[in-house]
Amino acid sequence: MKDENHAFFHPSSLILLPLREGTMEWFLILFGWISAALFVIVSAYKIYRVATAPLNVRWEVYPVPHEEGERRHYGGSYMEEVDWAKKSRAGSLVAEFVEMGQEIFLLQRVRKYNVYGIWLLSLAMHWGLYLGAGLLGLLVIENALPALAPLTNVVGVVAFALGTLGAFGLIAKRATDRNLNLYTAPIDYFNLLWLAAIFVLGLASFATAGSFAAHRAYIGSVLTFQPAPIAPLVALTFFAFELFVVYMPFSKLIHYFAKYFTYHSQLWDDAFKVKGSPTDKKVAEQLAYTAAWSAPHIVPGKSWLEQAQNPNVEK
Amino acid sequence: MSEPKIIRFKDIARAGDEPLVTLTRDDLIEIPQLGDAPDVQSPQARWLERYDFSLDGFSDFDLPKPKTKEEEERLVNGFLRGLEKLFDPQSNWPFVKIFRLSLDYCVRCQTCSEACHTYIGSGRQEIYRPTYRSEVLRRIYQKYFTPSGKLLGSFVGADVEVNAKTVWRLLELSYRCNVCRRCAQVCPVGVDNALLAREIRKLFSQEMGIAPGELLKKGTRQHLKAGSSTGMTPAAFKDLVEFIEDDIFAKTGKKIKMPIDQKGADVLLIHNAGEFMAWPENPAAFAILFDAAGISWTLSSEAQGYDGVNYGAWFDDVELARVALRQISIAKELGVKKIVVGECGHAHKALCVLADRVLPGDLSLDQIPRESCLPLLWEIVKSGAVKFDPNKNDFPVTLHDSCNVVRLMGIVSPQREIVKAICKQPVREMTPNGVWNYCCGGGSGFAIMNSLNFDQWRKNVSERMKIKQVLDVFNDVLDPSINKYVIAACSNCKGAMRDGIDHYGLWDKFHITYGGLVDLMVNAMADLPQPYIEFGKQG
Ligand code: SF4
Ligand code: SF4
Repeated sequence: MKDENHAFFHPSSLILLPLREGTMEWFLILFGWISAALFVIVSAYKIYRVATAPLNVRWEVYPVPHEEGERRHYGGSYMEEVDWAKKSRAGSLVAEFVEMGQEIFLLQRVRKYNVYGIWLLSLAMHWGLYLGAGLLGLLVIENALPALAPLTNVVGVVAFALGTLGAFGLIAKRATDRNLNLYTAPIDYFNLLWLAAIFVLGLASFATAGSFAAHRAYIGSVLTFQPAPIAPLVALTFFAFELFVVYMPFSKLIHYFAKYFTYHSQLWDDAFKVKGSPTDKKVAEQLAYTAAWSAPHIVPGKSWLEQAQNPNVEK
Repeated sequence: MSEPKIIRFKDIARAGDEPLVTLTRDDLIEIPQLGDAPDVQSPQARWLERYDFSLDGFSDFDLPKPKTKEEEERLVNGFLRGLEKLFDPQSNWPFVKIFRLSLDYCVRCQTCSEACHTYIGSGRQEIYRPTYRSEVLRRIYQKYFTPSGKLLGSFVGADVEVNAKTVWRLLELSYRCNVCRRCAQVCPVGVDNALLAREIRKLFSQEMGIAPGELLKKGTRQHLKAGSSTGMTPAAFKDLVEFIEDDIFAKTGKKIKMPIDQKGADVLLIHNAGEFMAWPENPAAFAILFDAAGISWTLSSEAQGYDGVNYGAWFDDVELARVALRQISIAKELGVKKIVVGECGHAHKALCVLADRVLPGDLSLDQIPRESCLPLLWEIVKSGAVKFDPNKNDFPVTLHDSCNVVRLMGIVSPQREIVKAICKQPVREMTPNGVWNYCCGGGSGFAIMNSLNFDQWRKNVSERMKIKQVLDVFNDVLDPSINKYVIAACSNCKGAMRDGIDHYGLWDKFHITYGGLVDLMVNAMADLPQPYIEFGKQG
């Protein structure tokens, strides 16, 4: 078995030379962990950077889903009442989750407002990714619960089929629709192609064996640090995937986390400032920052508060 | 309608004065009720030598084109310096976080395109697509400021050269967006192209002092210096108030003293000062209603205290903070319980939302609440303190939603309840309406920008969709023997409606006019001897 494997190309040959028995297996085990670690570290860093960026001014857009009752549907706000600053508010976090869920699982806004026919393709690709993530989870669990294999097969095949359809469909759409192709840089095609390649490899590696047993075995070897023989196609599938996992946080493919912030810090952030509150303290801190702009109406070297207090006009 | 021209991002850097696109009537969306809409006028020949029309043949900037290499370099360097400062957490703390998110995470799905009334109104010209200017900015940023852009160039889309033409065209392009944020409402990622347009405006204003004259020099600068962006001084304001009091008496027989600088009043009412000059019947209507309802209120005669506008909301954070700080401090000095903003959309947004986090704790919203006039007006109707007779408003009425009040503050229902209570006929809702409305086309300062031939762009492109909506909503009652009324509870929107109605001849052809909500309320007051609204005399 082992010798057979080595007769094929394997990605470790790019990095670890000369090869010794089991090198590729070890490489793939380590790379599995390294890619996951890099993904977590870089993503966490990116999230940290955004989360610790200065507090922005309010810039909400209605409808805001945590508004009460009917308001959340027609886009009303607490500011529809007199003396709202004195009233308590009962918001709904559940509605935010529902809205987010509709966005994540149905791509609701794309469905409703995109006129270029990308919704189904995009939905297919996103579900390819979600189910792909589900497959990964199942492969982990299956190592302890082999009875899950039939479910894994269904989830995996559907994931790869949808992903393949979605990714190739989007490539074709972007290449042929003038409203989209002007805005599509080579890197966007590259990203889609890479994703498509992972899905196709996934399908092919399943098709050659008729099951995900080899995939499960690989995941098991990663989890236990026990090198096990791995078919080349399976190795290539995982290598392409793991490389993608490393690349992802560096690209705009992690727009899903950006979305959390754009929605919560921008579109839905409707909280007014109360004197002495943490927001007020944060604003006070930021008002001491220097507004280092150079236009004639800006006072050089002054803080934001000083700028606000000094209109810089001759009386 | 002819097929729009393909314009690539690199084209923005194209040398020469030839515009990237030249619009004619045939390019724009049709308005079926009008037959032949007016044609688009080209810029005057005498301007071409001196000013730059190289984006689309329109401009509000009466600034001479750079003539020497040094002048060009100054422009380019100023732009790049300003762009860099937009990423600085200190110099751009109010927006840096959401600016970066919008710049970095657009997935170029174009879901936002069809949300934009200027893009659609223009016959879908590429340069007016919400993403076009954002993508140009993104590509410049990548090319000049990111390692991937420097290393991989056009592979990652970093392919827009910055030269004087790029800079100028991008400046112009930032003033082809109404900052209505309808596109942000539909973006699946929450990317905000309006925010990006405003950031471009900001870098020009805050770094180089370049902004439309009406917004900076004759806008915020004049507001902070003279007391009002209209140039109205405190003394002139007091004279106008007296004139309005006389006018109220002449029209209604009511002797009303409009309170000024009343310490300890419950409410400081703050109008867009343009109302006192262009539509004095509006502040008059507020005075009539507040007087009849027994509200404890006052106006301020302090410089900035009688003008609620804040043009900084459209293009400059420093100016925004300066104006707001002054307005809110005046309320504090007067000891009022709250500020109520009259019918001015951007004043609503600036005072009630935007300025909240650029001011110190003492001026926080819980200390000096700032509220819209609309809920208070609805309270007046609900309370029964004033008797309204809906039969007096027996004509077709539609409601234009000001983006600032509705989409950006969520105040949707009070105005509708009021109209229901004071009009005989049910309100005709435009399609779309409420928070999904289309901008009037005058948003973010356009209604007052009239230098060079900018008005041609506004009338023909940005106002076009609203005019179409108005005609559609009145389609079954277009007969000019029926007077029709568009409620626009916002000075800026009223300015745009006046402009559009005049340009497309809607009064002459169809007897469609416009006005405020309070005007309509006073028109329905049971105890008034004669109609308050004089059809055909607005503006
Ligand atoms: S701004 Fe949003 S809707 Fe528009 S192209 Fe980018 S991601 Fe898509
Ligand atoms: S903010 Fe409004 S005008 Fe500007 S791009 Fe978006 S939809 Fe168009």
